[in-house]
Amino acid sequence: MAARSSCPGCGSAALVEDAHYAQQQLVCAACGCVLAEGLLTTTYAEEEHLREVAYSQSTGQKEQLSRCLQRGIRRVQDLCKVLQLPTVFEETAVLYFQRALQHPSFHLVSLEKKELLGGSCVFVTCRQHNWPLTMGTICSLLYAKQELFASVYLSLQKELGLSVPALSLGDLVKTHLNSFRLFQHTADVPAPFVEDKEKMVARTMQIVELASETWLVTGRHPVPIITAAAFLSWQSLQPAARLTCTFARFCKLAAVDLLPPAHLRLKELLEIFLRMASQLAWLKVFNMDKKTVVKHIGDLLQHRIFLLKRAFCLEDGEEQCATPTGEGSASSPLTAGGAAQEEGCPSEGKRQREGGPRPLLPPCLINPRKRLRTAAPSASDSAITGDEPISDSEIEQYLRAPEEIRAFRKAKAWS
Amino acid sequence: QQQQQAAQQSTSQQATQGTSGQTPQLFHSQTLTTAPLPGTTPLYPSPMTPMTPITPATPASESSGIVPQLQNIVSTVNLGCKLDLKTIALRARNAEYNPKRFAAVIMRIREPRTTALIFSSGKMVCTGAKSEEQSRLAARKYARVVQKLGFPAKFLDFKIQNMVGSCDVKFPIRLEGLVLTHQQFSSYEPELFPGLIYRMIKPRIVLLIFVSGKVVLTGAKVRAEIYEAFENIYPILKGFRKTT
Repeated sequence: MAARSSCPGCGSAALVEDAHYAQQQLVCAACGCVLAEGLLTTTYAEEEHLREVAYSQSTGQKEQLSRCLQRGIRRVQDLCKVLQLPTVFEETAVLYFQRALQHPSFHLVSLEKKELLGGSCVFVTCRQHNWPLTMGTICSLLYAKQELFASVYLSLQKELGLSVPALSLGDLVKTHLNSFRLFQHTADVPAPFVEDKEKMVARTMQIVELASETWLVTGRHPVPIITAAAFLSWQSLQPAARLTCTFARFCKLAAVDLLPPAHLRLKELLEIFLRMASQLAWLKVFNMDKKTVVKHIGDLLQHRIFLLKRAFCLEDGEEQCATPTGEGSASSPLTAGGAAQEEGCPSEGKRQREGGPRPLLPPCLINPRKRLRTAAPSASDSAITGDEPISDSEIEQYLRAPEEIRAFRKAKAWS
Repeated sequence: QQQQQAAQQSTSQQATQGTSGQTPQLFHSQTLTTAPLPGTTPLYPSPMTPMTPITPATPASESSGIVPQLQNIVSTVNLGCKLDLKTIALRARNAEYNPKRFAAVIMRIREPRTTALIFSSGKMVCTGAKSEEQSRLAARKYARVVQKLGFPAKFLDFKIQNMVGSCDVKFPIRLEGLVLTHQQFSSYEPELFPGLIYRMIKPRIVLLIFVSGKVVLTGAKVRAEIYEAFENIYPILKGFRKTT
């Protein structure tokens, strides 16, 4: 609109721009007539630093979704923010959650289960993108019992038909080591205990790979293995200063939980290293034990492929163990190793003498727990047809005599 | 050689025709192989077994030689009359009844060693038997006990609901490898359970596979499903036997 030069009321040319509170006004100074008013609101073009509000955070969504669904979606989004996941994960997890809630088997479950359902959707999304997230982390975030979470997760996987790839151990190592507080000198962590993160991650990865090759990982919870491997790699990087530190103290320093299986994993790892050390030429002369072998873990890892072949029989090579192979001593440049192999002629599955190769088997096969084995069905059992006559005496042994019933009734009357 | 082929064809056809629909008794795994001989279609075409070359190979080289052992049979039967659980618990020696915990009488007999859940509607569940015939005999004994307690019990609609078998392949198995190659059927969560859960589609059986080589098969309604499921999984497991 063209600006007026004179007031329509009194004709005066004294027009002033004045603000009435927050509103700009064009006022005649003579009679006070208001000629034009400014806008109370700003236009989109004027707001240069406008922040976009996502639809999910606006109120528009509230009208279309049920309250339960809204609450669940907000919980899923909060979980993703706490775990600092990329936005793509958040969208996928919300999508899964919506699909799951529409499914008849989840529509009417308790609120507690619905919350676990949200956590399961986040967990599945992370696993599908190979983001290393353990169930323990999600359970602690949701304050949930692991059995209940497990059942919700498994039924979610089944009902939605989601394929969830296995947890990648390499990524889990990096993530788990990130939470260790050993990479900076603080009041709790003395200088000789501080370690370079890259070196520790690299060595822990190697030890975890070794554990995976020697059957220590399959079927076991992954986190205690990583903790034990981290401890060994930390000790071996500066053994002089760190050999006296116990596993429990290490975990306390690093501010990491020490789960009970980790002690057993540590024992198993040390046993593997001891067997490998017995095949290394310049270590064979020493009597290695659990403490001293830590100093040489670096060397053992460097030659691990060769040492594994020498220290253990592979599954198909049980015959190879029985016969001291000429090929074995020919392939190895160390003649002393050949002699050691000939000494220890192992028999399948039994405990080996020190120095002899042992079959590479999972620990549950090497130390089988003594269990009462039920006998195979005998001939008399298989002759049962199911239609045999049943004798009265056999049935009567299961019925109470009248005196018994009276006595029982009397006893119950007292209680 | 052609004669041999024809002979094998006819015997395998006979075997497949004979075993379809019959309740198998003394089963030998060799008669139900899925070797695709020329001209015959296998009874259970299973996409799980690797393509075997079509040569007149003897079936013996393909079967595993291991027979799964049945460990548990769950069956149900309808006794056909309403029951008073308090009376049963009072007058039977081998019964326990705790209505606050569970709304059924738990009864046990020694031979065959089984447990039964008896409900007031007259329906009964029998568990713990090691064969179908034993389960039927045990269910009949429970029905006889209930009869002797004064109820007009009958024996209607006896049905085997679930069979569980187990066996040992005698070599360790790389579960991580198996879950990679058979992702659509397997679920391996070491944080939850040390074994791999393999849901086979044909036959519809769930297998629990452990690193020690022990395999548990469950979800079968007939014995042949367990044997068939094991014959399907054995070549897959053998593929994970050798490690580099």
